[in-house]
Parts: sequence; C-alpha cells; structure tokens
Amino acid sequence: MWILCQYPPLNLHPVFRVLFLITIRFLNGMNQPKSSLRRSLSVYLVLISLFFGKNLIAQDGKALFQTNCASCHAINKKLTGPALADLEARGPWADRKKLYAWIRNPAAFAKTDEYSANLLKEYSPVLMTGFASLTDQEIDAIVDYIKKPAPAPEAKTAGAPAEPAKDNSFLFGILALVLAIVALILLQINSNLKKLSDVKEGVETPDPIPFFKNKAYIATVIILLFLVGGYFTIQGAIGLGRQTNYQPEQPIYYSHKVHAGINQVNCLYCHGGAMEGKHANIPSVNVCMNCHMAINEYKGPELVREDGSKVNGTAEIQKLYKYAGWDPATNKYTGEGKPIEWVKIHNLPDHVYFNHSQHTKAGGVQCQTCHGPIQEMGEVYQFSNLSMGWCINCHRETSVKFKDNGFYSIYEKFHNDIKNGKMDSVTVEKIGGTECQKCHY
Amino acid sequence: MRTTKILIFGWTAVLLAGFSSCSNGVRRDPGSIYMPDMAYSRAVETYSDVKYLNDQGIHYDATPVAGTVKRGGIAVFPLSKDQGTDTTNYVASKQVANPYAQLDPKDFLEAARLYRVNCAICHGEKLDGNGPIYNGGNGPYPIAPKNLIADPVVSKMPEGQMMYSVTYGKNLMGSYASQMSTRQRWMVIHYVKTMQSGGKPAAAPAVTDTTKAK
Repeated sequence: MWILCQYPPLNLHPVFRVLFLITIRFLNGMNQPKSSLRRSLSVYLVLISLFFGKNLIAQDGKALFQTNCASCHAINKKLTGPALADLEARGPWADRKKLYAWIRNPAAFAKTDEYSANLLKEYSPVLMTGFASLTDQEIDAIVDYIKKPAPAPEAKTAGAPAEPAKDNSFLFGILALVLAIVALILLQINSNLKKLSDVKEGVETPDPIPFFKNKAYIATVIILLFLVGGYFTIQGAIGLGRQTNYQPEQPIYYSHKVHAGINQVNCLYCHGGAMEGKHANIPSVNVCMNCHMAINEYKGPELVREDGSKVNGTAEIQKLYKYAGWDPATNKYTGEGKPIEWVKIHNLPDHVYFNHSQHTKAGGVQCQTCHGPIQEMGEVYQFSNLSMGWCINCHRETSVKFKDNGFYSIYEKFHNDIKNGKMDSVTVEKIGGTECQKCHY
Repeated sequence: MRTTKILIFGWTAVLLAGFSSCSNGVRRDPGSIYMPDMAYSRAVETYSDVKYLNDQGIHYDATPVAGTVKRGGIAVFPLSKDQGTDTTNYVASKQVANPYAQLDPKDFLEAARLYRVNCAICHGEKLDGNGPIYNGGNGPYPIAPKNLIADPVVSKMPEGQMMYSVTYGKNLMGSYASQMSTRQRWMVIHYVKTMQSGGKPAAAPAVTDTTKAK
C-alpha cells in the first residue's frame, strides 16, 4: 500500500492521480480514528463532485447550444446563420478572444474586423443577437460541442428486410392443373383397359360418344359458364364508376406515413379547408416550404413504393424545391416555380354534393372514418368505395353529436324527447340525412 | 379428337394464369364511369385545370385582388411586407393593436385549437419550442424553434410585430397567411400572449380535436 502511495501511475490524468491518492488514504483511514476518516471522506466527495462537474460542463455544451444558438445555427447546415462546423478554421475564430468578443457583441466587433463585417452583410438583414451573458467557459463548452463528431447514425439492427410474403396461388394453380391432367390420363387408361378386357371377353360395346357431343357434359359447361360469367358481369357492372383502392402515382412521392404518422403533423395543418368549407385543401407549395426550407434531406426509415421500388426521400425533397423555385444553395426563392399537379384520388360524380366542413365541423367525424388509416399510407389509396350505399349506411347508423351543438338547436322535438328520455340518440337519418335533396340537387 | 383435347387443356391453362395474375396488383388506373356528362362538372371547379381557358383567349386568375376582405372577415393586416433588407414595416408593426384583445371562452378554445394545429408542430403544445418535429434535436427539423415562453425576444414582442411575422414569415418561419385568416391569426396571437403571461383558459380545454392524426 505504501509503495503505491509513493508511486502512483504517472501517466494518469492529474485528477485521477489525486483521486487515486485520496482513495488510498481513505482505505488506510479505515483503521484510523473516526474524525480523520470523516475528513478524508469529505475531501473524497468534494473531489468526486469536481471531477464529474467537469463532465457536466462538457455535456452542457449541447444544452447551451440548443438554448442560445440553435434557433439560427445548425452544425452542418447553413440556415438563418452559417453552419458552425469547422468554425475555428475560418476567419479570425481560431483566436478564442476574438470569438468571445464577437459572440458578446457582434455589431461592435464587426467594426474592427473585416471578415465578420462581410458575414453581417451576407446574412443581412438578420443581425446576430449578442450574448453578453455567456462566460468564456460556456462559449468553450459550446465550441467543444460543435467540434465533437456527430454520433454515427444507428446501425441498422434489423438486418435483411423481411422477405415479402410470396404469392403461392400461381404455383397451386399449376399443381392443380398437373393433377387434373394425371387424373384424366388415368381415367383414359382405365377406360382403355376396360375396352381391351371387353374385347377379350367378346362383349359388344357401342361406339363411344365423344365428350363434346355428350349432353351431360355440354349442360354442365353451360351452367358453369352462366354462373361464372354472370358473377363477373354483375361485379364489373357494380364496380363501374367506383374507384376503391385507386392509388395513382403522384408527381412527388409524398408519404402521409412520414408526415402525419411519424412526425405527427396534424391533418389540418395542410388540409385546413376541411374545417372551413367544401374542399379539404390541397396545400399550396408554400405550406410544404414552411418546414422544407430547413429540412432538406430525408433520414427516416426506408421508403418503398407499392410496386416495391425504393424511393430516395432527399431526391423527392429536391423535386419539391424545383416546383417551389427554391434555391437550396442560397436559401432564396428564384421566382421560377410551377404548381405541383397532384392526381386527385377521391372523385365524386358531379351529381353528388359533398361538403367536408359539414362532416368535420358540424358532425365531428374523424378524417380516418372515411379516408382509412391515412397516417400509415406511404402512397394514398381510396379506402372507402364512396358508393351511395356506403353513404346512406353511415347516415343510418351514426349518431350525431346532438347536445350542445349549435348546428342542431332548431330540432326542438328531438331535444325534448332526449330530455324526457324517449330517445337516447339522434342519427343522421332522423335529421334528414337520407333525403335525396340533401346530396342530389 | 387429340387436337381438341390439347386445345381445351391449353385454354384452361391460359384462363387460370389470367385469373391468378389480376388478383392483386396496385390500382394505378381509376377505371371507367357510366355517364361522363353526369360525372364531370361543366362548371370550373376548385383545382380543376384551367389551361384550356387561356387557349381560348379567356383570362382567368384565381388570385384575389390585393387587400380583398372575404365576406364576414375583418380588415387585412395594414402593413405590407418589407422588401430586401428593409425593416421599416417590421419595426412599424409594433404599433398595430390586436383587435381581439378579449376573447370569450369559446373563441379562446378555438384559438387554442388553431395553435395546436398550426403552431404546436414546431413551437410545442406547451409553447416551449420543442414540438414533435424538433423533439429536443432528435426530430427532422435541424434548428430549435423559438421557445415562445422563455425567449425574451418573443415574450416581450408586441402583438402587432408577432402578427407581422405570422403573416409574412420571419427567418425560417414561413407565412401562415394561406393557412389562417386574418381573424384566426389575431386569435392565435391572443392565445400565445395569454399563455406567455401564465394565463389559463376560462374553461378546461375540452374541445375535441376531430382530425388529429393518431
């Protein structure tokens, strides 16, 4: 023990060395009177707190950066202000004293330094806010945080993506066909053998009727054709004009799953018109740019089209920039935009009137009730068949929010009936939701 | 005899293959309809393509005249957007007063709903600048949105100047004039100001957000 006290490992960090010595003293102190034990224990604790305190400041760099700098600067991206990576390699910033002076009072420092004066000109009219209250240590901590390499993106743990379930129906079809052929051949052999044995025994047999002249065969085939053909004809006739599962390819691969699902953007952020009038807006490009001025690359889970081909999210954002006329290099609009021609998916015929706000604002219906699990759709498809039967069925079954709803205050009889307990809810049908003129006029 | 058999087997195989292939595919085609003259509108509908009008020499512009007030709406924000590096109107906007200095509880709930729909995605439901899109630096948004409560720049900002920023955009924030009417923007600003001063809504926010993505 004594030898260790005298020769602590010399290559240790000084803090470790002191800690090491104190630990040994503490261990020695176990055999000593209580007071000295307590003293060495307290010294030990103080040192530990000092040691970890240093660590805390290093961590604080991130918090300091986020509270003070992050609303204008990113580390690797030029935004309201320049990107801060490799800060010390540029201009006068290798000199910490100049950096301190600049951060505390940018306007004053720019008067004495040409590089920073140019910076102010470049980012005009935005003038960097001065942070007079930041101490030298805090600024150092921020710079240390910036210098740290960004944590590598999490290694994909999933490994190979799960094999898509194979559709085996084709294989089964072929198998069934082969078995049918084998069965037919066996039947043929059987009848031939029978014929041979008949000839051997001298039994007279009439000439066989070929099966396409056999009445039983013909009748069966005709009935089968009638049933199958009739089924498909009726299905086709009902389906004519309906577009369930219609899933067109859009000019930009816009994923509702990424926006409304993963990033929790409210449906109404883009489709606010659903609460205001007939149409749920198709957002204009400026609504996209609210976020995509800053978000110029896609880092989320892999995007795949319905046909299995992969989508490069960042390339799709670049497409948006082309439509918006946004130059990501200078962060400015070029003024050469053009509208995105999205393909309309839900097409109601002109002889039907449908109003979104009537359903969302007055009726309190959720988007997903008609549009399905839209927050899980990569490419949107038509979830409901939008047939008249579907509309009417919902109007018959759904109870409206009747109480405290200004839209229905005129239905006095129903209000009284509810009060007297004669009825417990009012369906859409009861307030005229199945009348022809409500939707056709 | 033999040829007939071969023919029948062949056709069965072709039909089976045909049915199995059309059972599951992506429907990229909308299909056809019964009566086109009843299905397609003859009137110019919202979002319909109007390029053909130009070909006929008819000028059609969907943009309203500058300064137009919609029916039932209130006067538009009086200041225009600063051009280039000019900040005159941004500074002048400090003087514009909020016509909705008071909101009844129902309107206040509506303002809270508008805030949650349009602002909370970045500035957070608690106005702490930590909406789901930033998420403490883990979201896709690369920089921290303004903390509307703790940042003195915003908490001391006059309502008129907030209105200027919401109407025309500021730094990386875009204009919200296309998503909220003038009245709605003033209401949201009233809500933000109330929350900044620690104000609580008159009633518990029991409004049902019918369209929130789950």
